[in-house]
Amino acid sequence: MPQDNVAQEDIQHRTAIDRSVRFPVLFFITSAAVWLVVAVVLGFVQQMKLHSPGFLDHSSLYFLNYGRSNPAFMGALIYGWAIQAGIGVGIWLMARLCSAEVKNPITLIVAGHFWNLGVLIGVLGILTGHGTSIEWLAFPKAVWPILCGAFSLVVIWLITMFHRRQDKEVYISVWYILGACFWFPWIFITANLFIHIFPGSAVAKAATNAWFMGSMIYLFFAPIGLASAYYIIPKIIGRPVHSAQLGYYGFWGLAVFGGWTGIQKFMGGPLPAWMPAVSGAAVIFMLIPVLIVTINQLMTLRGNQSALNSSPALRFTVAGISFFVIYCIFSALSSFLLVGKFTQLSLTSIGTQILAVFGFFSMIMFGAIYFIIPRLTGSEWPSLKKINSHFIISIYAMGTLLIMNYFGGVWQSSAYAKFDAPLENAIAAGRPYAIGASVAWGFIVFSTLGFLLNLISILLRSGRREIVSKFVGHQESSG
Amino acid sequence: MKAKPVEWTDDETGKLYTYPAGKPNIFKQGQIIYAQEGCAHCHTQMIRPTYMGYESWRPDFGKEGTVELPIRIRETRSGDYDGEQFAYLGVQRIGPDLSNVGYRHDEQWHHEHLFNPQSKRSFSMMPSFRHLYDKRKIKGQKSDSALTNAELEDDEVGEYEIVPTERAEALVGYLMTLKKDDPFSNLSEDKSENNKSDVKAK
Repeated sequence: MPQDNVAQEDIQHRTAIDRSVRFPVLFFITSAAVWLVVAVVLGFVQQMKLHSPGFLDHSSLYFLNYGRSNPAFMGALIYGWAIQAGIGVGIWLMARLCSAEVKNPITLIVAGHFWNLGVLIGVLGILTGHGTSIEWLAFPKAVWPILCGAFSLVVIWLITMFHRRQDKEVYISVWYILGACFWFPWIFITANLFIHIFPGSAVAKAATNAWFMGSMIYLFFAPIGLASAYYIIPKIIGRPVHSAQLGYYGFWGLAVFGGWTGIQKFMGGPLPAWMPAVSGAAVIFMLIPVLIVTINQLMTLRGNQSALNSSPALRFTVAGISFFVIYCIFSALSSFLLVGKFTQLSLTSIGTQILAVFGFFSMIMFGAIYFIIPRLTGSEWPSLKKINSHFIISIYAMGTLLIMNYFGGVWQSSAYAKFDAPLENAIAAGRPYAIGASVAWGFIVFSTLGFLLNLISILLRSGRREIVSKFVGHQESSG
Repeated sequence: MKAKPVEWTDDETGKLYTYPAGKPNIFKQGQIIYAQEGCAHCHTQMIRPTYMGYESWRPDFGKEGTVELPIRIRETRSGDYDGEQFAYLGVQRIGPDLSNVGYRHDEQWHHEHLFNPQSKRSFSMMPSFRHLYDKRKIKGQKSDSALTNAELEDDEVGEYEIVPTERAEALVGYLMTLKKDDPFSNLSEDKSENNKSDVKAK
């Protein structure tokens, strides 16, 4: 029958695409997962050191001091895990959505090797005392050109895939991925040039750094995360996105406001007052596209809540979107002077970064990875139990971190604001919350190890072989 | 690059001053150590105006004053960071602000505090920076810069001493130059503007 033939060809074509992207995507995702384990272990160590300077306080372990382990943790988390997982998921989504096979995947793997080399030099550089202490750009100065070159190769490959697309209509996820492809090099190169190369006032460099962090969240993590959500939610539910129109409004809203954010971090600082004011306004305006995206996703999900129980990929994605909404609301609130003065220079500032990178972006990436890997390896996840415990522990740990970092930060700032109280009170104020956050980090380490073990065993093909994976989607669509 | 100099008049003496007052006096080599050791991840260098909190009244952020009789320090301005490679405004306050730490302690205190922070402040969360110090055998007279709070084995006392390395000297040198309080009075500026508008109103 001709219909069957078409379906058969379709499946064959999709299999061919999956086969062509298999190695680069697996490479990026696996190395990202390894970096995630490095990051969370460092995350636990730095969190312990924040309240107990005696922890691992041996003369030979000086390289784990908070001042080094914190930036090393952030570097491994952002460049090792988050961006790399984003690249892996981005390549797969692009290939699927453009129906284009990857030609010459070796180049992508070479780019991946260079990226990993850059991150390795960066993290070791920070630990051995060559870091710059510039937030999210703490790697030694020599590293950024390596990362930049490696990322450019990936961008070229993504764009050629886009050019060879077979459908004229471009799906919303592709917009987001293409956006992130251009925005990341733009903000990364600009920030590094202005901070490391061009002469400029010291305060302007600090402002550039704050802008870089804001833009990274809204112009790289948000688009890649949303691209994945826009693919995975409709795919698993088995029906199209509620409104393509809303999707485009959401995209352009992000594009317009995203590049203005970040500097609200230095409200009341030694900068011209308009800079934090503009950034703060942009963060508040950002609620509009976020609202649009959320409504769109919720409307797509409506009536299919039961799919949340059967698909871990969907559960992770929806959790990620929820954390994104929480992040955006908290950031908008912190952009008001009244709230910002308590959240600005306290535990909250790192807590907010963790919320964006771990709560929002990583959750979505976990969802995407749980969805993609069975399709690339042709076997199922060996342990559903591990996936479920990964989900539950991640949610609880992130929730705990959220409460500890936000309440702790506000409490700590209020203690510093009492100018006639001794310093001891202010320093002790944040301590219980930092201890609480350490417990959460302990659980995160545990669940991440489970995730890595699960990933390694599926890669070694110890999972059950089935043609139709349980995670393909809803039972009806596979039956 | 420097901030544009601004002129201001002292109300009491009527004298004209410029801000920033002179050449930036920052120990750049020490700032590199400050960055490499990651001090900026726990300490800020940013005093905010009173609408963002009353930290400018904190005696442990300022240069003088006591809890009973605090003296306000002014908020930091962009000219305060002239000559620095990067303005380490800070992330969070696990320890006190360091904008004016150069006034608060002497070099010996800093060295001993870096070596063993809890010996100076029992409640401190600061890690020890022992790796910036060398243990060496005393030859002849004991060094002037030897630390007095060094923990030595019983049989080493009197034979060994702990002295700062070049990196520690640079870091403390930098901390001693942190005096972000070049006189500047925006109060007089505001007043003159108010006066002008008063005149117009009349």
